[in-house]
Amino acid sequence: MTDIRSKVLADLAFDRRTLMLGTTAGLTAVAAGGLTMLSSRPAFASPQINKPAPDFSAIDSNGKTVSLASLRGKIVALEWTNHDCPYVRKHYNTGNMQSLQKQAADAGIVWLSVISSPPGEQGNVTPEKANELTQTRKAAPAAVLLDPKGQVGRAYDARTTPQMFLINAEGTLVYMGGIDSIPSTRADDIEKATPYFKDAIVAVTKGEPVQNAVTRPYGCTVKYTTS
Amino acid sequence: MSGMFDRKCWLQTVLWMSTLLALAWGAPAAIALESAATTSPRVTATLISDAATVAPGQTFRVGLRQKLAPKWHTYWKNSGDAGAPPEIRLGLPAGATVSGIIWPGPDRIAAAGPVMSYGYETEIVFPINVTVPRDATPGQNMAITADAEWIVCERECIPEQGSFQLDIPIAETTAPASDDVKAAFAIADARKPMTGPWSSRLVSEGDALALTVVGADLTQAAVKAAYFYPASWGVTDHAAPQQLSLTDGTLTLALAKGQTFNPAAKADGLLAVTDGGGVTRWFEITPTIGGAPAGAAPTASLIENLPLWQTALFAFLGGLILNLMPCVFPVLAIKATAIAKLSGGELREVRLASAFYTLGVLVAFTALAAALLAMRAGGTAVGWGFQFQSPLFVAGMSWLLLAIGLNLSGVFEIGLGVGGTGQSLAQKSGHAGSFFTGLLAVVVATPCTAPFMGAAIGTALTAPVYICLLIFLAMGLGLAAPYALLGIFPSLARALPRPGLWMVRLRQAMAFPMYASAAWLVWVLSQQAGDFGVLIALSGALLVALAAWMYGIAQHDTGRGLLSRGFAAAAIVGTLGLLMQLDGATTPGAAARTEASPGSANYEPFSNARLAALRKEGKPVFVNMTAAWCITCLVNERTTLSTDTIQQAFRERGITYLKGDWTNRDPEIGAYLRSFNRDGLPFYAYYPAGGRDPVVLPPVLTEAIVVGELERANTSASASPSSN
Repeated sequence: MTDIRSKVLADLAFDRRTLMLGTTAGLTAVAAGGLTMLSSRPAFASPQINKPAPDFSAIDSNGKTVSLASLRGKIVALEWTNHDCPYVRKHYNTGNMQSLQKQAADAGIVWLSVISSPPGEQGNVTPEKANELTQTRKAAPAAVLLDPKGQVGRAYDARTTPQMFLINAEGTLVYMGGIDSIPSTRADDIEKATPYFKDAIVAVTKGEPVQNAVTRPYGCTVKYTTS
Repeated sequence: MSGMFDRKCWLQTVLWMSTLLALAWGAPAAIALESAATTSPRVTATLISDAATVAPGQTFRVGLRQKLAPKWHTYWKNSGDAGAPPEIRLGLPAGATVSGIIWPGPDRIAAAGPVMSYGYETEIVFPINVTVPRDATPGQNMAITADAEWIVCERECIPEQGSFQLDIPIAETTAPASDDVKAAFAIADARKPMTGPWSSRLVSEGDALALTVVGADLTQAAVKAAYFYPASWGVTDHAAPQQLSLTDGTLTLALAKGQTFNPAAKADGLLAVTDGGGVTRWFEITPTIGGAPAGAAPTASLIENLPLWQTALFAFLGGLILNLMPCVFPVLAIKATAIAKLSGGELREVRLASAFYTLGVLVAFTALAAALLAMRAGGTAVGWGFQFQSPLFVAGMSWLLLAIGLNLSGVFEIGLGVGGTGQSLAQKSGHAGSFFTGLLAVVVATPCTAPFMGAAIGTALTAPVYICLLIFLAMGLGLAAPYALLGIFPSLARALPRPGLWMVRLRQAMAFPMYASAAWLVWVLSQQAGDFGVLIALSGALLVALAAWMYGIAQHDTGRGLLSRGFAAAAIVGTLGLLMQLDGATTPGAAARTEASPGSANYEPFSNARLAALRKEGKPVFVNMTAAWCITCLVNERTTLSTDTIQQAFRERGITYLKGDWTNRDPEIGAYLRSFNRDGLPFYAYYPAGGRDPVVLPPVLTEAIVVGELERANTSASASPSSN
C-alpha cells in the first residue's frame, strides 16, 4: 500500500523544478512587465536619453553633407544657435561658447552648430555669413549645419537657442538640455551657474555616465518654419 | 537722474496738495501712484502702488506694470519652452517686509513648431505685497525702489531692464490709488490664482500623464476648456496638446510627460478653467502623484466606511469566488491533480501539503501587492492584471502552461531521473510542488476580478500599506481556502476515492486545459503584438516542446543523456532569444483590434469625449471595458452582450454601446476605471438617459441581469423625473 502510494506520488509529484523555474520565470515576467511600463515609450518624435540619437543629414556652411551616421565612432556635440538671440549672445560675447568648442575639439569631439531658422526669421544666415560669424566670433565648431526647414531641429525636438545635445561614440544620446543652470541673459550668471554641458563633455570624454543628463534648455524659441 | 528728481518733486507737490484737498473735503482722494516709465518700442514699464498713502503696519501692493506692444509677450514663473520670468528686486526702508511676486495666471503663447511658452500679452502687472514698518512716521514718505529685468519676445527676444522709484506718503490712514492704477491691478486680480477647492491626482503611465480633478462644481455646463500649467519646467511637455474629458464632477486632462518628470517630486501648478461665458480663472492645485484618482465613487465610499474586518471579509470572499472564475481554470487542473494526490494520504502529509499551497498563494499575493504598491509609489498607474498587458509575460506564460501540460502528458518527468527516491524526498518534492502551485494560481488568476474584488483592490491600493497587505492576504486566504480546508479537516481527503489508475488518467486529462490556456494566450498575444507575436509564440512553443521531448529522452536513457540535455537547454535558450524579439514587436492599432474582435455588433470604441457628448445629449450609454486577456470579459460578451436579445434591448432603448479595449495599456481607460475606484476588468456601467448617474453592473453578466438593470434604471427615471 505504502509502496503503491509512494510510486504514484512520485509519478504525480509536480515536476518540482519545472514549476520552480516556470513560476520564477512567471514572476520575473511580472517584474519585467512592470519595468517595461515604467520605462517610457516615445509619444512622438522626441529624442530619449540613453537611446540611439536620431540620425540626420544636413548641409554645412561649406556645402558638405554631414550625417550622424558618418560620424559613428566619434563623440558629437550639437548646439542649436541663432546669433541674434540674446541668450546665445550671452555665451558668445563672454567667450563661454567658444571655450567649450575648443575644449570639445581638443577632446576629439565633433561640434556641430545647427541653425534651424528659415529665411526671413531671426538667426537665418547664408553659408558665407555663417562662416563670417565663426571667424569674427573666433568660434571653433567642426561645422555649422544649415537646417532652414527645421528637419534636424524637429528630429531632436529642439525648442530653444542655445540648446545642447551630446552623443557618444556609439551613437547614444547621453545629454540633452541647457548649456548651464541659470536661465538668464546676464553674462555674470555664467560664473555662478552649474556648467551642465561642460560637465557632460568631461564625463563622456572620460567614459563616465553624465550626472545631469536631462536639464532644462533655456533661451529664445527655435524659429521653425511654418510651411 | 535729474528727470527722476523732477518727477519726485512733482509727485510730492501733488501729494501735498491732494492731502490738503482731502483734509478740506474730509475724505481721502484717489491719487495716481505710478513711477516714471521705462519705455522701449515693445514695453512701457512702471512701478505702481495700490495705495496712494500708507499707514504704519499696513500691507499694500506694489507691482511692475508692463504695457506690451501687439504680439510681444513677457513670461510667467514657468516660462514654458523659451524665455524667462521677470526678476524684480525691491529696495525698501528697514523694517518693511515683502512677499514674492504673486504670479498672475498665464496664457499659452504658441510658436511655430513644437514650442509653447507661458506668459502675458497686451498688459500685465506683477504684484508684490509690501508691509509698512510699524514704526513708520506719518507725514514722511516711504521710498520704494525696484530694479527689474525681463525678457520680452515676439518671434525675437529682447532682454530689457528698468529702475523705478516710488515715494509713498505715510499717513494715519490709507488712501486708494487712482482709477487708472486700480484698473492695472485689476488685470492682475482677474488672473490671481484661486485656491482650487478640489482634490487632484496626477497619474503617470508610460509617456502619458493623466491629471484628474474631482469636484462637484466641475460640470459640463461649467467647464468649456481647461489647461494645466505646471509650476516648473520638465513636468509636462508644454507643446503637447492637453485633451480634456469631463464627466460631471470629474475633469481629466491627458498630458504628455515632460523630460524630467519625477514621480517623487511635487507637481503643483495652475489649472486654468474657462467657463461657458468664455471667462478663464486660474486655480492652484497640488496633485497627489500616482494611485487612484482623488475623490471616491459610491462603491469606494461604501467600502471605505466599512470596518476593517468587513473589508477583509469581502476580500476573503472575493478570493474564494476567484476559484470559480474562468481564468483560474488551468490552475484548478493543477489543484485537482494535487488534491487527487492526497487521496489516501497520511494526516500529517495532507496538512503539510495544504499548508504549503496556502503559503505559496500568500507569498504570491504579498509579492504582487508589493509590486503594485512599489509601482504606485513610483507614480506608474497599473491595474490589477497589469502583467497581462505585457506581451513578454503573455508569451512566457503560454510557454510555461505548455511545459506544464507536456509534463502532465508524461512527455518528461524530473522525479523519474532520480528514480528510487525515498518517501522523504517524494514528500519534499510534493511540498515544494504545493508551494509553487500556489504561486502559479495567483499569477494566472489575477486578470479575473471576481465580484467584491474590484472594490477591495481599489480600496487596498489607496489604503495605508498595512491595510493593503491585510486585504491582499485575506484575498489570498480566500483563494487558498478550499484547499486549506483539506488541511483543517483531513477527513475530507479520505472521502476521495482510493488511489489507483484513475489518478494517472486524471493527470493526463488535466494536460488539456493547460494546452487550451496556452492556445488562448497565443490568441491574446495576437491581439497585442499582431501576427509577428503569433509567429514568435508558436516558434517558442515548438522549442519548448522540443526541449521537453529531448529532456524526456535524456531521462529514459541509461546514460546521462548529455547530448539530449544539451539540445533541450539550447532549445530553451532559443525561446529566450525569441522573447527578446517580441520586445520590439509593434502592436496593431486599437481600432484595427476592436474591428477584428469577434462577436462585435453595434458598438463604438470608448472615449471619454464620446461618452461626455452622448451624456450631454441626454442619451443612454452602456460602457463595456474589456481586454483580450480577460476571459471573463470575453465570456460575458459572447453569452450576453453580443446576443440578439441584448443588442435588441439596446436598440429599443436607443442605448449607445461603447466598448473600451484595455488589452494594451491605455491611460484614458485606466483613469476611467479608477474614477469608479476599480482597478481591473471586467467593468460594465449603464448611464441612463437624461445624464443621470451611472449604474455599475456586476462583473459576471447574464441577459437577465443586464435587462433587469436597464429596466430598473428606466423605472427609477420615470419614478423620479425631477432628478437629472
